[in-house]
Amino acid sequence: MIRNYIKTAYRSLIKNKGFTVLNVLGLSLGLASCLLIILYVADELSYDRYNTKADRIYRVNEDLKLGENNVHYAVCMPPLAKTLKSDFTYVENTVRIKNVGLRHVKKGTTNILENNIAFADPSLFDVFTLPMINGNPASALAEPNSVVINETIAKKYFNSTPGSYRDVVGKTLTFDDNTFYKVTGVIRDLPRQSHFNYDFFISMSTFPDSRSTEWLRSDYNTYVLFKEASDHKKLETALPAFLNKYSGAQMQSQLNMSMAAFEKGGSFFRLNLTPLTDIHLKSNRSGELGPNGTVQYVYIFSAIALFILLIACVNFMNLSTARSSNRAREVGVRKVLGSAKRHLITQFLTESIMVTFAATVIALFSTVALLPAFNQLAGKELSISAQTLTWLIPALLFIVLFVGAMAGSYPAFYLSSFQPIDVLKGKLSAGFKGAGLRSFLVVLQFSISIFLIIGTLVIYNQLNYIQTKNLGYNRNQVLIVQNTFELNNQARVFKQEVKQLPGVINATLTGFLPTSNWKNTSIFFKDAAFDQKKALFPQTWEIDEDYIKTLDMKMALGRNFSSQMLTDSSGIIINESAAKFLGLKDPLNKPLYRSNGGKQDISNSKEYHIIGVVKDFNFSSLRDVISPVVLVLAQNKGALSVRVNTTNLPFLLSQIKDKWKALSPNIQMNFSFMDQDFDASYRAEQRVGRIFIVFTSLAIIIACLGLFGLAAYAAEQRTKEIGIRKILGASITTIAGMLSIDFLKLVFIAILISLPAGWFLMNKWLQDFAYRVNIQWWVLVLAGFTAVLIAFITISFQSIKAALSNPVNSLRSE
Amino acid sequence: MQEAKMIKITDLEKFYRTEEVETIALNKLSIEVKKGEFVAIMGPSGCGKSTLLNILGMLDDPDDGSYMFNGVEVAHYTERKRADLRKHNIGFVFQSFNLIDELTVFENVELPLIYTGVPSAERVKRVEEVLDKMQIMHRRNHYPQQLSGGQQQRVAIARAVVNKPKLILADEPTGNLDSSNGNDVMELLTDLNEQGTTIIMVTHSEHDARYSHRIIRLLDGQTVMENIMI
Repeated sequence: MIRNYIKTAYRSLIKNKGFTVLNVLGLSLGLASCLLIILYVADELSYDRYNTKADRIYRVNEDLKLGENNVHYAVCMPPLAKTLKSDFTYVENTVRIKNVGLRHVKKGTTNILENNIAFADPSLFDVFTLPMINGNPASALAEPNSVVINETIAKKYFNSTPGSYRDVVGKTLTFDDNTFYKVTGVIRDLPRQSHFNYDFFISMSTFPDSRSTEWLRSDYNTYVLFKEASDHKKLETALPAFLNKYSGAQMQSQLNMSMAAFEKGGSFFRLNLTPLTDIHLKSNRSGELGPNGTVQYVYIFSAIALFILLIACVNFMNLSTARSSNRAREVGVRKVLGSAKRHLITQFLTESIMVTFAATVIALFSTVALLPAFNQLAGKELSISAQTLTWLIPALLFIVLFVGAMAGSYPAFYLSSFQPIDVLKGKLSAGFKGAGLRSFLVVLQFSISIFLIIGTLVIYNQLNYIQTKNLGYNRNQVLIVQNTFELNNQARVFKQEVKQLPGVINATLTGFLPTSNWKNTSIFFKDAAFDQKKALFPQTWEIDEDYIKTLDMKMALGRNFSSQMLTDSSGIIINESAAKFLGLKDPLNKPLYRSNGGKQDISNSKEYHIIGVVKDFNFSSLRDVISPVVLVLAQNKGALSVRVNTTNLPFLLSQIKDKWKALSPNIQMNFSFMDQDFDASYRAEQRVGRIFIVFTSLAIIIACLGLFGLAAYAAEQRTKEIGIRKILGASITTIAGMLSIDFLKLVFIAILISLPAGWFLMNKWLQDFAYRVNIQWWVLVLAGFTAVLIAFITISFQSIKAALSNPVNSLRSE
Repeated sequence: MQEAKMIKITDLEKFYRTEEVETIALNKLSIEVKKGEFVAIMGPSGCGKSTLLNILGMLDDPDDGSYMFNGVEVAHYTERKRADLRKHNIGFVFQSFNLIDELTVFENVELPLIYTGVPSAERVKRVEEVLDKMQIMHRRNHYPQQLSGGQQQRVAIARAVVNKPKLILADEPTGNLDSSNGNDVMELLTDLNEQGTTIIMVTHSEHDARYSHRIIRLLDGQTVMENIMI
């Protein structure tokens, strides 16, 4: 019996080649899109799950509220890790990780700048699953000046091969020409799906600060490994008392203030836990060990994948039921010959599962072929490995059965319920059956498509807004030399020499830039009362007198720093947000007291006076409101930003490099351009925009494939009517219009449904941006118009073809 | 000795209702058909011939009256029971053949055997037997479109008899055929009848009707005359 089903299904599919091609093509497109997104989402969800103890690992975070300032840290106090382990029996282990920053590592005679270096406690390899190929994980990070490197580094610095890693252990690496580290272990490269990714782990004991017993500052990423079957909530409830015991005690002794008094002023600091596997998608705190993802995009992409699959399934259902009149006679005959309804249902389901199977196989191969392009688009390194296949194959089989059954169920139940007497007497053949449901499904498809068009347009508008928004500084034509700090005292010489070069307008020496990751906060008070509630907690940036001019920032009030004014060392420039926060109507010459930390009174602070107010400029994401910034005059050597105006940039660049080489022949100069740095911080958004546009186009193409097929069948069904109308004198335009209008009506209904929904949902997305565009009316009009146009082109092809046919042929067939 | 009755319908009624009119298709019709008979039903268009055939074939159910099939009342059988009774007892021959285009000659004829659950080897034997008898064995792997009208109808008859039904219902079996092919088909039906199969045939053709034992003439859903053929 099953052979008969497959045989009939196969022949029926072959006989209706056009239909089969439309179906298989639409489904494979939809499934391939789905597969790509599934791989993407699976990758995002797999972060940190390589850790065998992942479900028992939590990161401790700190939330700080100081007056009106709220800060969320991913870092905690230096002694926290040790104390948690000793105080709570259910804590199995703890580990601290601290980013080291840039270091030069010597290979032969050259120094190579390395970025992925961290200090870590010896317990690192107990908490995290970082397999060590050679070395002893238990003791590798115990001694000071020990370093554990990964395979890539072993290859890079010791030309090591997998067999010879053991020779690397015990060798020495030289950092910054002055510090020596003994290699105590070689680990495998960290999986890309890790929220931190380091090449070097230096023993924490190397870093004297790690022994600090300060409980009032936070700068160590701290992870807790709970014992099996213990409840992390127990620790969460214990944390406030714990914090009071340690931080509270220090607050009392150093600030002469109790924790209760501190909290009475509306301030607080609290600890909380984030599960390790939530960090990548759900954590966006200050002091993260690397850029994280956003769970929102996982949701958005999953929804798009479902939408596309739904559209593809709807195509299948629509084309199958539209063809029902052609299959009706077969159903009738089979029933007369004794076929039970369930036989017919099985037969039609077999057919649709076969189509789905073919589509899935094609989709799988297309996915493999498209993966490199998709990786480029999404900024991922997805691949289909043997391990992927262990879940992908069952998932695909499930998809085949599920989609096959879902897409085939309606045609199966619908067709199998035909009464043989009706179909054999030709009562059904004239009808274009199932029109109601089919119309509904077409409306559904187009509503989704129009919604996706609106989404794409809004995302693009917002991205465009970000690119062109006046940021309060000019990021174009600014070259940034990233590592001037390595020139030490020569940095200022370098700046002066670069400033002399033709084509250089100005230059400023500081690491604090709107596009850089340099951040520094301190506490300011606006009067000698040191009122906690009115404390200002701003970004405090050390700049030079050329900063404002070089970056093209504008002064709202007062003046810039000047090298002529000796008193400017105690001068301070604040931004408009800071002025507003302080509630100062006329801020010029007002004092500001900067706390030195510890005891908060006038003896333990530095007094500044405000010399100017700079117009607000964006320095973090446009998702966030501009926060208070104060600028102080200091000799920060972090980076040199050079405003250039030249048509021959390569020449200027080589001149700047020559100046660098003259000062520091052994170290390479690293540079970037400010506009590119800026763009980099919106890469995630840009990727989402591009992915959105690709999948929206696919969704629309698939919906149009379906509409194309439907229009063809509608025209075929009305061949006789068209013939009669033509004989009676109807023009081709009238007939094409008549055939098109039925479908266009559905598209219009879809517009009515999707415009408000799209407007509402995209507005919600925009709420995440502090600086955003409004959804313009033309976005909605354009989305609707695009849908109508695409639908019209699709339909009219069939309509015109039908209208042009010779009526004699169509009427003779009766 | 009284001959066994295969079909006995009594006061059978069937109406077709639209929103405004009620049409009487069968009006208190009573007919009997004995086992082994060859009956022709004739009458003008709209007299209720096809309705009667559909009810006899259990494709449709009557609104009122009784239908005894082999001594069992089937007038109010459920769809499922009728289908079951049908596939074991009745073969159909249509004017427009109603072969399935996607299946070969062999597979078309095999179909009723699949639905009655005959094992594969047995099916091959029986299909070949009947194709041989219909003289279309050489066409067994062809598709319906590749055959002439006469050949198609022979396949349809082969399909109707392959399950060895007790009753064959033929709805204008020669309607789409030329007279030569038509005569062949009528000869086939006569042969089948002589081997014991009961046949009820709806026809417009007096020529074809002459092959039967008895003609029932219908008008407005009632029997107007019964001719016994010699």
